[in-house]
Amino acid sequence: MSHGPIVQTPTPEGFRPHVVAHHFHDANQEFHSVKLGFWLFLATEVMLFGGVFAAYFIFHGQYPETFVKGGEQLSVPMGSLNTVILLTSSWTMAMGVRACQLSQKKQMLGFLWVTLLCAGGFLVVKYFEYTAKIEHGLLPGSFWHPHGHYAEEFANVEWPNLFFSFYWTMTGIHGVHVILGMLAISWLIWQGGKGRFHSGFSAPVDLIGLYWHIVDLIWIFLFPLLYLVP
Amino acid sequence: MSDAHAHAEHGEVQIDKSLHAHVCSAGTFLKVYVALLILTVLTVGVAQFHFGSANLLIAMAIASVKAGCVMAIFMHLRWDTAINNIAFLGSLLFLGLLFLFTMADFATRGSIDPTMSQHAEPPAQTD
Amino acid sequence: MTTNVPVADVAVETSNEPTNYLNCKRGFWSWAATLDHKRIGIMYLVGVTLAFLVGGIFALGIRIQLWSPEGVMFKATSEDGLAGYNQMFTLHGAFMVFMFIIPAIPGALANFALPLMLGAKDVALPRLNLASFYLWLTGTLLACYSIITGAVDTGWTFYTPYSIQTQQSVISMGLAIFILGFSSIFTGMNFIVTCHKLRARGQTWFRMPLFCWAVYSTAILQVLATPVLGITVLLLAFEHMYHIGIFDPAYGGDPVLFQHFFWFYSHPAVYIMILPGMGVISEVVSVHSRKPLFGYRLMAFSAISIGVISFIVWGHHMFTSGQSAFVMMAFSFLTFLVAIPTAIKEFSWVATIWKGSIALTAPMLYAMAFLIIFSIGGLTGIFLGALSTDIHLHDTYFVVAHFHAVMMGSTAVAFFAGVHHWWPQIWGKMYNETLAKISAVLILTGFMVTFLPQFMMGSQGMPRRYATYLPEWEGYHKVSTVGAFILGTGFALMMGYLIHSIFAGKKAKQNYWGGATLDWKTQTPPIHENFDFDPVIESDNIYDYSFLTEEKKA
Repeated sequence: MSHGPIVQTPTPEGFRPHVVAHHFHDANQEFHSVKLGFWLFLATEVMLFGGVFAAYFIFHGQYPETFVKGGEQLSVPMGSLNTVILLTSSWTMAMGVRACQLSQKKQMLGFLWVTLLCAGGFLVVKYFEYTAKIEHGLLPGSFWHPHGHYAEEFANVEWPNLFFSFYWTMTGIHGVHVILGMLAISWLIWQGGKGRFHSGFSAPVDLIGLYWHIVDLIWIFLFPLLYLVP
Repeated sequence: MSDAHAHAEHGEVQIDKSLHAHVCSAGTFLKVYVALLILTVLTVGVAQFHFGSANLLIAMAIASVKAGCVMAIFMHLRWDTAINNIAFLGSLLFLGLLFLFTMADFATRGSIDPTMSQHAEPPAQTD
Repeated sequence: MTTNVPVADVAVETSNEPTNYLNCKRGFWSWAATLDHKRIGIMYLVGVTLAFLVGGIFALGIRIQLWSPEGVMFKATSEDGLAGYNQMFTLHGAFMVFMFIIPAIPGALANFALPLMLGAKDVALPRLNLASFYLWLTGTLLACYSIITGAVDTGWTFYTPYSIQTQQSVISMGLAIFILGFSSIFTGMNFIVTCHKLRARGQTWFRMPLFCWAVYSTAILQVLATPVLGITVLLLAFEHMYHIGIFDPAYGGDPVLFQHFFWFYSHPAVYIMILPGMGVISEVVSVHSRKPLFGYRLMAFSAISIGVISFIVWGHHMFTSGQSAFVMMAFSFLTFLVAIPTAIKEFSWVATIWKGSIALTAPMLYAMAFLIIFSIGGLTGIFLGALSTDIHLHDTYFVVAHFHAVMMGSTAVAFFAGVHHWWPQIWGKMYNETLAKISAVLILTGFMVTFLPQFMMGSQGMPRRYATYLPEWEGYHKVSTVGAFILGTGFALMMGYLIHSIFAGKKAKQNYWGGATLDWKTQTPPIHENFDFDPVIESDNIYDYSFLTEEKKA
């Protein structure tokens, strides 16, 4: 087996060097390969969520009253709060990537922590929303059993369970993405603390940043479609 | 790739400075963040009025502008390579095909053959 | 042509073999944790072969059952009834589609050959490559688990609402397919990035071998279509667990929407299966006819356009499902567009062979079988794409025979053409060519005997997926069953001599078939780093065999 020279990217003071993988010519090729791969992964995320969105639009067209009535049960303040939280986290993530590209370790870790806290805050708000919905029996599919005045409200609506199927499925899959994102950001904080990410090697921060923006992007569409059903 | 590597001895450490990522200014990020917040207020505000089916269009238009800001600036697509733009935005095109044909089906059921009605009557619910 | 830097000549019969990727490291972990695309390709090869074996056993079971009109293995009069037959054809379909055909050529052959053809040391993302293999393994094991806990009996298409009501383990099978889907996505991502970023010096897009174009187009489909299957089986699992109702008319949903989603993936998936097969045939036909491929650029464009068109024809699977007549007309029209690039390919292969210096080697025989069967598969597709005839032929054995002509007779045969073609380069060993030719002829014969009667009884109305049938079709079914066993014999023979050659085959000489592309310019078998020189492509004519005559003169 032949070994070429060990190729490293420039390492600023106080950081760990990054070795370019053996099958790449240079750091530029490595970075752009990994990045293209990640954009393709994000494209699969778009297609995956796109399927549920397509189903949403079709049933919204078939039973518009169901969706309006269902949307009225969701709390606009809570949804708006979560939107602001996610937008903030998206901004801090972008700033974190920027700090990484400038080899500002402290700032980077700070921004990543804020992003992580925002993600946690999002889930806390979601928890309160979910428990309220469970209490009222506003559950998907066969678990649909609205209590009290909710039963009356939905008495004359076609397939009220369907809106909540979409609500739970869409926010559920999105929530799983938030949790996975939190794990990824935690890993960044852990490894970033050891000085692994810097101007010569920002790809992991960059890519997980892109992932986090996609999570935000999907919420940007979910929020008006679920909470402000037109 | 570069000539420097070609003559390197085994085990030698080379420093490769070929990588140059785009760094966006903090001011731009802040402006986009504020714009996103304003648009969020706008979308909630507009939803309080009822314009009929136009509401859906307005909501989607605002969401698309927000998404465009996030993609172009936060995700650096504006400064990214053409292929990365194509890889990501191309998926929207194919998603459009999924939307187009499935919705065309539901929108035109019964248009040529009236026996194929919009959708079957639901069976009587048990509870 | 390629670079002039000579490859070290492999001395014949020396006591210590030169190091290659197979013998550079030994031990279980050197395989299980390898990042080498060639070794991962071999692991895929072993994996998909086992899946093919399982799927093949189910296929023989189906044919045994249909030997007599009242059934052989499952009888309506017996205690368990005919339900077992439904499970058997479902598992045959699911194993063959999701665990064999889709990963076969990209996972095994492209993994091995694509980086070599591009002059790269590895695929762009080697860890992801290994992960995709283990995802395949996990998905397959989960599918096996679901067989034990209650094999699904829905057909490989999992149509709702039956798939929601059935008591069998739809959830674990759905999850298995979700995981297998991600395995496929990761393979595709890897190949797209590799084609974009790791091409050799001087290798422009139009200096890539056509196999790379085919795999690239396949990869686009894998990346863009598979996620929709992922969300569809996920929603199906939710239907099963919570009755979310999106696909269930009992809760306000629409089962036709399930079919839209399913076929949005599964029609492009047909091209995920056939496109890499077309790529293999392009390579084989060129090398074994000693001629540059006819119409290279058109071949490249047709590979991409087949991929794109495949996204807008899926509705032709649903002509009797109750989608709107308007959409059906659109889908029927669009379906015929596929004929254009497909015909370009078929004619180009024939034109490549024309006046070539044809060697009737085993890979070439498989390629010829492909050309014949693919014509049958393609032309019978016209009847099924045409709206009015499809109403008559839908869900009959005509459809079964048509898609087996494309999936089994074309893709699987192309896969075996590729396996025989690259075998000396993969193992450095050569199989028994006489036996290989016999098995190629057996497989072509077996295919015809199995499926031509199916076309006939299908056009007369024999429905698919029936465990018993009217006595008038008994003759056709008996011939078909005989054909299936001829096919089985051909595959068993192939398995035998291929495995034998790994351990006791003759040593393959350098560049066994005299290929001109980079995958043949490296050592046989390749070293761990693929090339001990810096590969450069200097000419547009990548299929230039003039070096062979020069070698002879020298």
